[in-house]
Amino acid sequence: MSSSVKRTVVESDVCIIGSGISAAMVADRLARTTSARIVVVEAGDEAPPLGQRYALRDRYLQYGESPWPNDHLEGYEIEGPLQSRSMQVGGLAMHWGGVTPRWSPEDFRTRSLFGVGTDWPLSYDDLEPFYQEAEELMGVAGEQGPASMDPRSKPFPMSPIPLTYNLTLLREWTAKAGITMWSQPVAKNSRPYGGRAECCRNDTCTPICPIGAKYSPDFTWDRLRAARRITLYPRTLVRKLVLDERSMRIAGAEAVQRTRTDTGTPVEFRAKRFVVAAGYVWSAHLLLLSASSRTPAGIANRSGTVGKFLTGHRNQQAFISLPLRLFPGMNGQHSLLSKQFMRTPPSDRYLRHDLRVWESSFGRGPRLRADDGTLMLGDDIMRDWRARTRTGVARVRAYYDVVPDRSSELTLDTTRRNAWGDPLPKLAFRDAPESAALRDYSIATIRTLFESMAKAGNGTVLQTVEDDGPGWQDHPAGGCRMGDDGSTSVVDRWGRAHDHENLFIVGAPTCVSGSCANATLTFCALALRSAAELARSS
Amino acid sequence: MLSRRTFLGTLAAAIPVAALVRRAHALAVDDITASPRTLHALAEVMLPAEVGRAGTDGATTNFQRWIAGYREGAELLHGYGTSALERSGPTPATRWAAQLDALDAMARKKGSPSFAALELDRRREIVRAELTALNADRIPPVERAPHVALALLAHWYATPDASDRCYEARIGKETCRPLASSARRPMPLTVVRT
Repeated sequence: MSSSVKRTVVESDVCIIGSGISAAMVADRLARTTSARIVVVEAGDEAPPLGQRYALRDRYLQYGESPWPNDHLEGYEIEGPLQSRSMQVGGLAMHWGGVTPRWSPEDFRTRSLFGVGTDWPLSYDDLEPFYQEAEELMGVAGEQGPASMDPRSKPFPMSPIPLTYNLTLLREWTAKAGITMWSQPVAKNSRPYGGRAECCRNDTCTPICPIGAKYSPDFTWDRLRAARRITLYPRTLVRKLVLDERSMRIAGAEAVQRTRTDTGTPVEFRAKRFVVAAGYVWSAHLLLLSASSRTPAGIANRSGTVGKFLTGHRNQQAFISLPLRLFPGMNGQHSLLSKQFMRTPPSDRYLRHDLRVWESSFGRGPRLRADDGTLMLGDDIMRDWRARTRTGVARVRAYYDVVPDRSSELTLDTTRRNAWGDPLPKLAFRDAPESAALRDYSIATIRTLFESMAKAGNGTVLQTVEDDGPGWQDHPAGGCRMGDDGSTSVVDRWGRAHDHENLFIVGAPTCVSGSCANATLTFCALALRSAAELARSS
Repeated sequence: MLSRRTFLGTLAAAIPVAALVRRAHALAVDDITASPRTLHALAEVMLPAEVGRAGTDGATTNFQRWIAGYREGAELLHGYGTSALERSGPTPATRWAAQLDALDAMARKKGSPSFAALELDRRREIVRAELTALNADRIPPVERAPHVALALLAHWYATPDASDRCYEARIGKETCRPLASSARRPMPLTVVRT
């Protein structure tokens, strides 16, 4: 970049890097509880406005087109299983499923309780008020499960999404199998909430809700911008954090404001405090890119653990044929949930998993060839389809937790660089040996459960699969692990970097482990807790 | 002698110049839209008779709209777990237009002025032979259908109407419906079978 190019300087009290769901939580709380001048910096473009989303959804349904066109930076093909290429205002939560279970108290104490993994430096009770706050901010519709499995101090903000006729039948079936299930909590409106509409079962929550019934961070950004509580810089890629010359405080963030025609204009963000809220990949990536002579391993990396301990969970799922008349398509993305298997290991070997059940049309679609290979046309196809849908299919899935190894990591890939010459990240997930040793047992035990469920309903397991790709884990997190010991972790229990008093890293990257349930609500609760500390220490 | 449709298809395949391909797509769409009789006659073969004349008309019109709306090189939904991006492929319109032409040509060989003028059973024979020759064994995604007959079939069977007919219930999948009513069994749909 030419040195003659004018550098813009933006000053604020708090500079938030990233505009995804964790960033939105931090900004919302700071805007409510402080008078800080808040700047938000996002590498991607603005997301299409709500008014365009039915049309975008239609293109997706008709042609499989992305409903979020151009939600990525060019040239970011990386090695390893990236969760999503998406990079835009609102982040990945523009197309999330809106599924918001809390993690269980045991998740934070697996070493103490089961001798497996690493305890977190905080407890469920520490996080509980922030779970509630996140649920109220987003608008979560949920059903209180049995208190022993589903502890909470206050009711859900909204009554649950009603169980469909299909799910009611499926719940009766799981009860016969001895499994207690209830309506999955979701960040979808069961009534108008937060100025957004009630869900009307469009059933494309992932990848796009066309009416805004599902929470996405753009609604928070729209509100905060309208109230002039934040300034958001889209298309602005932060390339490096810079240290203060005389201390270990972060003085600035060097960025480039992207244009469509060239490499862009340099911008420097100066702030009293910085919040890195860029998810499990781009947070660690930025810290590693920020290496300097004083911090040769990168910012916040005295422990050498930036990018390490990437975590998540895996799944097993089954399609079970049942002698039930089901009607797929009633609200297909909604499910039943059980936390019955998250409490304690059922045997002396460690295994914890969640359990969800959906309606399904697996193996029940229209087809061209009959069982004997005859080509069917016209009435024959419909007749065959009707005959095969007289009984129903349930999809059953269990996430089970994976203990991450230190070598489960993000590193800089010097063979692949972006348009500004910065190395791209490289990702590799690896189980800790104790977890790898449990994998076959975990899979076998879950499959046995599926078989017993099928038997309880006089059904048949049609197929059992793991739908994670090779080396991939669901709901990835980690890379800037929290802990009380600065020699083994990146941030403290509040998300503050051990090495830099004015730097917070929030949400997904700070996770010690990945539980066995969807993670976004926990990322949000962690981010709100960090924001509370940030406000307190301002 | 090459028909107009065949010529367009050959041209689009032979000269992959973006502007020319776009033009070929537009001409193929015009061609299919301007003379929908063959497509309609094909729909009568592929769709269940219970949809009736109005249903066949609607399916044909909606399929024509689908073809007209196809965009080459559009960014497709990128999934989870990978940084790879995908884009939509070349327009199928030119190929499908040529296949409609071929159906008419086959009808003429059988002494009929057009595919549409053939009795339903004769049309069915032709389509069955075409799909057998292609080793068609499943209903593909519309845009990947190797034959226009399968594309039409795939397009209709993905609709809420097809699903409701199968289950003989008013499910209305992927449409905006009251949340509360999902708790009840869907209302029955009376299907008049022919």
